[in-house]
Amino acid sequence: MNGAAGGSAGKVGAWLEERLGLSVLARFAREKSVPVHRHTIWYYFGGMTLFLFGIQVATGILLLLYYRPSEKEAFESVQFIMTAVPFGWLIRSIHSWSANLLVFVMFAHMFSVFFMKSYRKPRELTWLSGMAMLGLMLFFGFSGYLLPWNALAFFATQVGTEVAGALPLVGDFALRLLRGGDQVTGGTLTRFYGFHVAILPALTTVLLGLHLLLVQKQGMHVPEAIEAEQKRSGEPPKVMPFVPNFALRDAVGWCAALGVLAVLAALFPWELGEKADPFAPAPAGIRPEWYFCWMFQLLKMLPGHVLGIEGELLGILGIGAGGLLFLLVPFLDPAGGSPWRGRLFTIFGWVALLVMIALTAMVYMPAGGGR
Amino acid sequence: MTEPGQGKARRRFVNWFLGTSLGALCVSVVYPVARYISPPDVPEAQTSRVVAARDGELKPNEGKIFRFGSRPGILVRDADGGYRAYSATCTHLNCTVQYRGDLEQIWCACHNGFYDMNGQVVSGPPPTPLEVYTVNVADGDVVVSRA
Amino acid sequence: MRRLCIAVAILSCAAASGFAVEPPPPPQGPPPYETSCFTCHSELQMAPTENAREDIHFEHGLSCHDCHGGNPLAGADGDMDAAHDPAHRFRGRPSRQQVPQFCAACHADATYMKKFNPTARVDQLSEYETSQHGRRHAAGDMKTAVCTDCHGVHGIRANKDPRSPVYPMRVADTCARCHNDQGLMGQYGLTTGQVADYRRSVHAAALYDDGDTFAPTCNDCHGSHGAVPPGVNSVANVCGTCHGREGSLFRETAMGRTATLDTAIQCTICHSNHAVLPPTDDMLGVHDGATCSGCHQEGDKGYQTADRMKRTIVELTNGLGEARELLERAERAGVEVGPDKFELQKAQDALIESKVLIHSFDLERFLQVAEEGVAVAKAGIAAGHGAFEEIRFRRAGLGFSLIVIVAVIGALLLKIRAIERGGDAR
Repeated sequence: MNGAAGGSAGKVGAWLEERLGLSVLARFAREKSVPVHRHTIWYYFGGMTLFLFGIQVATGILLLLYYRPSEKEAFESVQFIMTAVPFGWLIRSIHSWSANLLVFVMFAHMFSVFFMKSYRKPRELTWLSGMAMLGLMLFFGFSGYLLPWNALAFFATQVGTEVAGALPLVGDFALRLLRGGDQVTGGTLTRFYGFHVAILPALTTVLLGLHLLLVQKQGMHVPEAIEAEQKRSGEPPKVMPFVPNFALRDAVGWCAALGVLAVLAALFPWELGEKADPFAPAPAGIRPEWYFCWMFQLLKMLPGHVLGIEGELLGILGIGAGGLLFLLVPFLDPAGGSPWRGRLFTIFGWVALLVMIALTAMVYMPAGGGR
Repeated sequence: MTEPGQGKARRRFVNWFLGTSLGALCVSVVYPVARYISPPDVPEAQTSRVVAARDGELKPNEGKIFRFGSRPGILVRDADGGYRAYSATCTHLNCTVQYRGDLEQIWCACHNGFYDMNGQVVSGPPPTPLEVYTVNVADGDVVVSRA
Repeated sequence: MRRLCIAVAILSCAAASGFAVEPPPPPQGPPPYETSCFTCHSELQMAPTENAREDIHFEHGLSCHDCHGGNPLAGADGDMDAAHDPAHRFRGRPSRQQVPQFCAACHADATYMKKFNPTARVDQLSEYETSQHGRRHAAGDMKTAVCTDCHGVHGIRANKDPRSPVYPMRVADTCARCHNDQGLMGQYGLTTGQVADYRRSVHAAALYDDGDTFAPTCNDCHGSHGAVPPGVNSVANVCGTCHGREGSLFRETAMGRTATLDTAIQCTICHSNHAVLPPTDDMLGVHDGATCSGCHQEGDKGYQTADRMKRTIVELTNGLGEARELLERAERAGVEVGPDKFELQKAQDALIESKVLIHSFDLERFLQVAEEGVAVAKAGIAAGHGAFEEIRFRRAGLGFSLIVIVAVIGALLLKIRAIERGGDAR
């Protein structure tokens, strides 16, 4: 560090310090350390999710400078962004690809936390806020998908909201709340826009703040097995300083993600499709985004009626039950509980993951569950 | 490891390399974003309204083809000086029509279709009328818009 | 009463002569269904009174006696002679010979027809007399068509009534009743099959499939009452009533001005008379199966013209298709191509106009338009390639940014190594 530069920086720093008292944070950052072991790689996924979310916020803000959330103009405005605005194609394609990457990385983050059992005390709230954000991100994806108002999105939204309508008791209300009426119309578009740029970001800000705060406060969790190993070996547990070691490594990952996004955006630009026509028949092969496909496939595979209950309803309830198990796992598999319960939940997690992967694959394979 | 001097030089190089490459990354992010934010030549999608001509560009009883999105439109200044605009795609086989001042009708040269000043078919093969657009004059610009 | 007596007197003489065309008195007497004619004949189930209610004459207040004469007020009690009263100019049933004059008694009288429809035509009989049907009828051939064969006898409906045998969609079937009868047509040395040919044509498709009642059927080219095949030199005029531009272009050509049957080339030579099929690019040219090479041999001027025209049309069509496809692909890849697509419309216009100009058989005139179209298509192709330049620019940009990113990653890794090897943070 240059002495002269350090002088004036030091003066500004001192001025801010008198008013904000941020040196506490700086000290905390200097002292924070990250455990190093064979599963350390998973620690990067949370930050990666955050980075991709940041990309979404930035590109999303840029997009809303030109996007128009009305039935008459939405498609044309996206077309305008893609063709007439300089680098509009880049911003839009990055936004679409990053959304998909975000969901993927987020699921990886969630499953890694699940398998490492980092949800246990004292991290229950971290887990709950994380699961809530998972739901929010999925809703971000669902609402954002409709915004270009193209044929595929229109029908995918119709199908998706139909599924919501199949919920017992609250189904009709949920359907009307989502659609802004009985059908998917321009009103639905505006409403989804409101969700996508205002309501969901506000909720995410709160939950993300809580989540990050908790992570800083509680530090990183080391899986029990590894802790046991370290105790046995007698050596002090290896750590690396958060700043600069972990942070620099984080940066490497983020740059790699940026590179991947650049390649995807330039070589596989996100298609625009055709403008939605509510009166046209649904095209063949409509399906939701890939991260909903496993649910879609499961519902398709269930028989019409099982023991007198409608198959689709059973599927929805089943998925809901599974989701609830995931959500409540900190309380169902707490620290100090019996080891076989822990193993049961680990197995449950693997089964869920493999089933989701298999179902998703089926949707994309030509011969399988397919269209 | 190595001599302290070489280590310092190396460290300086690494710092310089990091700084420069990060700088280049920033530029390659900021440049597209800056270009994106500054408004393009055409501020909005030209599918629902377009400036077809300057006021006074057309003389009375004269017509002009203009671009509306990717389809042609025809702007006609009638004998009284008022403006009318229509889709210039003939409804018969999609040829581009033209204005006939001698007849005060719109004519398609391909198969002799004639439309009156309301876009209605007068004679010839066209099966349906021409789509009529709304014309407004604002700030010296003749603006054509579609409902 | 006095008027009636005078009329009866005059008409009695007319009835005696049988054929004279005199103005009948205006409708008088009771409403149609209350005449003695109607009462008796419906009871006796003679003469198709069941169609009477749909008959256009009845709708206008005319009744049996207005055509057939007789006394509509008498004879309802069964006294046939009182009803069939010659003093009331009873004519009875006209013979086939008498039918044209029978109908023309009213329909050729402008003063009379004007009372019902001021714009009604009254020349049907004079037209009929010029027609093949009319001439043969005058010569005594009773197998040929008379008014009732096409319009019906009783229960005659208005022409615009879809149930009328002369409604546009039913005309071909009405003509076919005789003209498809090989036994009948053979007696005149005429072929059958015209209706079958017509049914294959693009005109029939427009009429029957699209429901366009402005599409031509038999009477639009042959005439309604003056039915006669258009003469050899008037075919272009007939087709040209709708196909105006092609007709006028053709009339100016050398082919359009020849006089004899042997040398006259008219629309029907290339396009057929009844089986007018949608024209294809395949008809033009000098290859096997092309229409032009049916007459033109290698070496003659027509052959060269046809060949050149075909090549240019193909060049234009292909160029236009290629330009369109390039621009579509570029647009889907995200490049703005609106102005270029707009310019391409000129090539489309040129293609359509060139196809019309074929009928001028004038190569120079044709090339003037077609080659301009080809130039526009070529410009469109160039624009399409230019759009892909934009895509290459993007990939170059990608390459550059990837280099930068890899450099940053490399720098970061070096920094990490430096920190972790060297042991100090800065």
